[in-house]
Amino acid sequence: MKTKEFIVTAIIIVVLLLCKFVLPKPIQFSPTISWIVTILLGLVFAFIFYLTIKGKPVERRIVFLLVGISLVVPFFMQFKLPLKISPEVQQVYDKLASLPPGSKVLASFDYDPPSAPELQPMAEAFVKYAFEHDIKIIMMGLWPQGPQQANQAVEAAFEENPALRDQVKYGVDYVNLGFQSGNEFVVLRMGESFKSMFPSDLNYTPYDSIPLLKNVSNFSNIDWSINFSAGKPGTVEWIQVAVDRYNLPMSAGNTAVQAPMVYPYLNAGQLLGLMGGMSGAAEFEKLTNLPGKATTFLLSQTFAHVVVILFIIIGNVAFLRSRKETK
Amino acid sequence: MLNRVLLLCLALVWTVSVSVTAQDVAEGGIDTLSLPLPAPAQNVVAANHVYDDGEVIDVNWDKSPDDPENILGYIVYRAETDGAFDSIRTLLPGETFFSDDNVEDEIPYKYQIGVIGENGVSLSGESELAVATWELFNFGMWNTFLWMFVFCGSVIGFIISAKSGRKLYIRKIGGLEALEEAVGRATEMGRPILFIPGILDMDDVQTLAAITILGKVARVVADYDSKIRMPVSRSLVLTAARETIKESYTSAGRPDGYNEDMVQYVTDEQFGYVAAVNGIMVREKPATCLYLGAFFAESLILAETGNSIGAIQIAGTARPGQLPFFVAACDYTLIGEELFAASAYLSEDPKQLGSLKGQDVGKVIAMFGLLVGTAAMTLSVAWQVPATQWILDLMNNLFTTN
Amino acid sequence: METFGIWLAALLTIGIISFLYKDNVLYKACESIFVGISAGYWFITYYWDNLYRKFYLGVTDMDNPHRFFLWIAFALGVMMLTRLIGKIGWLSRWPLAFIVGATAGLYMMTYFVSNAFVQVGATIKLPPDFGSVGSYISFGMIALGTFSGLVYFFFSKEHKGVFGGTAKLGIWFLMVTFGASFGYTVMSRMSLMLGRLDFLFGEWLGMIN
Repeated sequence: MKTKEFIVTAIIIVVLLLCKFVLPKPIQFSPTISWIVTILLGLVFAFIFYLTIKGKPVERRIVFLLVGISLVVPFFMQFKLPLKISPEVQQVYDKLASLPPGSKVLASFDYDPPSAPELQPMAEAFVKYAFEHDIKIIMMGLWPQGPQQANQAVEAAFEENPALRDQVKYGVDYVNLGFQSGNEFVVLRMGESFKSMFPSDLNYTPYDSIPLLKNVSNFSNIDWSINFSAGKPGTVEWIQVAVDRYNLPMSAGNTAVQAPMVYPYLNAGQLLGLMGGMSGAAEFEKLTNLPGKATTFLLSQTFAHVVVILFIIIGNVAFLRSRKETK
Repeated sequence: MLNRVLLLCLALVWTVSVSVTAQDVAEGGIDTLSLPLPAPAQNVVAANHVYDDGEVIDVNWDKSPDDPENILGYIVYRAETDGAFDSIRTLLPGETFFSDDNVEDEIPYKYQIGVIGENGVSLSGESELAVATWELFNFGMWNTFLWMFVFCGSVIGFIISAKSGRKLYIRKIGGLEALEEAVGRATEMGRPILFIPGILDMDDVQTLAAITILGKVARVVADYDSKIRMPVSRSLVLTAARETIKESYTSAGRPDGYNEDMVQYVTDEQFGYVAAVNGIMVREKPATCLYLGAFFAESLILAETGNSIGAIQIAGTARPGQLPFFVAACDYTLIGEELFAASAYLSEDPKQLGSLKGQDVGKVIAMFGLLVGTAAMTLSVAWQVPATQWILDLMNNLFTTN
Repeated sequence: METFGIWLAALLTIGIISFLYKDNVLYKACESIFVGISAGYWFITYYWDNLYRKFYLGVTDMDNPHRFFLWIAFALGVMMLTRLIGKIGWLSRWPLAFIVGATAGLYMMTYFVSNAFVQVGATIKLPPDFGSVGSYISFGMIALGTFSGLVYFFFSKEHKGVFGGTAKLGIWFLMVTFGASFGYTVMSRMSLMLGRLDFLFGEWLGMIN
């Protein structure tokens, strides 16, 4: 290890140890401090802009560092941001709220932990809302880790509202069918028979022994479905098979990367509402009146977006300058 | 909306507590609290759901005149010919349709609709008996059949034409010439070529296209005696890729140059795979990186790392969400269908060429539908030109699913 | 034990993030651990979900009239493994052909109906707010963008003259779409990073309320 790298590593370790063992916790900035920090960040960008114009663009690691800082610092700030509800998220909520108690909802958790920061807040808000309104949930996953994410959402609902732990019964109010490989073929077979794809639930309880599934044979016994998706198989496959072939009414929560690909299906009426990325999750949390992680992260997102915009401007200035020099 | 749900909860509780069944009440309803009941639903019609396998009966009715102000919802009752009515579903106000998919074929059923008011349920008259029957063909999908017939017919026609030796014209695909140049550069620099076939399995058409292009790339690699490195995330892709490269080396007359370690399985886990490929990139510094196939969140990470090591990068994917990163970070990008076109162009395989030409026929149909449809819509609906209404109806018939 | 797990997760996260500085020993160690664990995880998942739950429970379910079909799937799976036996290695192509064929059959209908047919039908329907100036613009843009995009992806004619101009317009539409998509992705990537930072600063360091 070179001296420079050794110093950097040592500094990082010391800072982390200080944070872990010395600093008082939790940390919260007063509004004045928050403003001062924001202004300081602004000044750093002004300086970088100045350096770029002078022909000394900063290296990529500085960009990474500043993006990191812009994500972390808002954790400790007290700013409140206004949040406008988009029509597609409103549509998801309206559909969920219109379900009578006792309705059966099929929820497919088609994502894994890497995508959880975006999708887990939606899933948690949905599960909490459903439990509080006596909406029955049949959970499953086309991704292996999906059912575990579903269990985490259930656990989060119980932690948030401990009374639900006694009220909501596994097998009666919700069930987790687990993962099944086969992508859209699983959905296709479910159109004929759920049991053929899930002979038992996640805990190996036979399908026929689960009270909630007593009268559920295929999509026609489902009142509404929601799909939390981070890629393939996901919302698109559900639309192609379950919606277009079996007329399953479906809404979806997608990662922001995937959302643009799903909009055409929303516009064509194949999808009843869409929550896109963390902002979609925050809107859904607001509508369900169950604020969670997405609402908390909104400020960090906003800061990071501003930083990215500034870097796009700075990057273009650097590009134009280098082109001019080349000429 | 919440109020409506609460009201419906009340209605359900009420329904259960008084255990209303159609047998207990006279037509027109009961009056448990001596208060007025909502007006009943009318014209209840039950009929076989057409074009299914005999599992559904559709029930339609006219709304209660008190809907929505003075009702809490509807209850659907069902009975066999001489049996008692049982409630089978509760619906929200405003509903006038119910598909009963829990019936057995060839058994006649009759239906009755109950309107839930705050003071009780008023019942409609009984429907005629209806029987669910199955049909072999779904004639409601005639237009889908028509277009599929035209589309598949074109594909088959072009394949036959290509097989008979007719030269099918395909325009030049930008970026393809760069492939050979990129392999040549890697040879000159004595560094390997990294080929990433996406992260989906052999059941994805993009992976298939990538493997076809791999065949051509491997052939050039074998000719130039260069090196190819291919970490994969699916076991089936491993199998297919090894066979393809082996064939290319054999056809180049250098079977001894082939080594199974050229293709290496890493893991199915998306980011585990990305971490490993990133590691390979920064350590082995390939001169050329080819990303062809289906990509997800890893696209930008890979392209960015490839960019940072100064490799020539050529990408191609049909995942619209990932194209922006490849366009931004790579030297050449095959956008969407260009990936498949490139595969057909390089392989000169009659099946692929025929399919591509057949798809062009599909695009012509879509363009025709779009042009004529939007024009007819604008003229007849927005500008109220009645003479164009029949064109609009025709287009809707041709392009609307039933 | 939970504290140990959190420390381990934190150190692994830092190890992976350290790649942003440069490739280093910690990153290499984390990468190897990640790859190894995930490969093992997938193996176990497939074993329990497919071999045990789907196959074993399926064939032993005497009420399932279709249980014998599972033996066909099992046989195809075994055929995949024949790759390891040189002489009969060619048998592994059959299950591969089965997968490719079955998927192509399914996709033919699903993609045609959902991605082409329904989309063309939806393009010739008026937007709900039709009548305003904005709706004329959006309606026109959708129609023009779809049409010119299709022209760009038309491979049977060289991009020259009016046709070439329309194709160029199509690529402009595509680039604008890519820009919008890029914006969404930035949001997504920030969210992923936020998840990790929340873990580091909240769960591990305990600095967040």
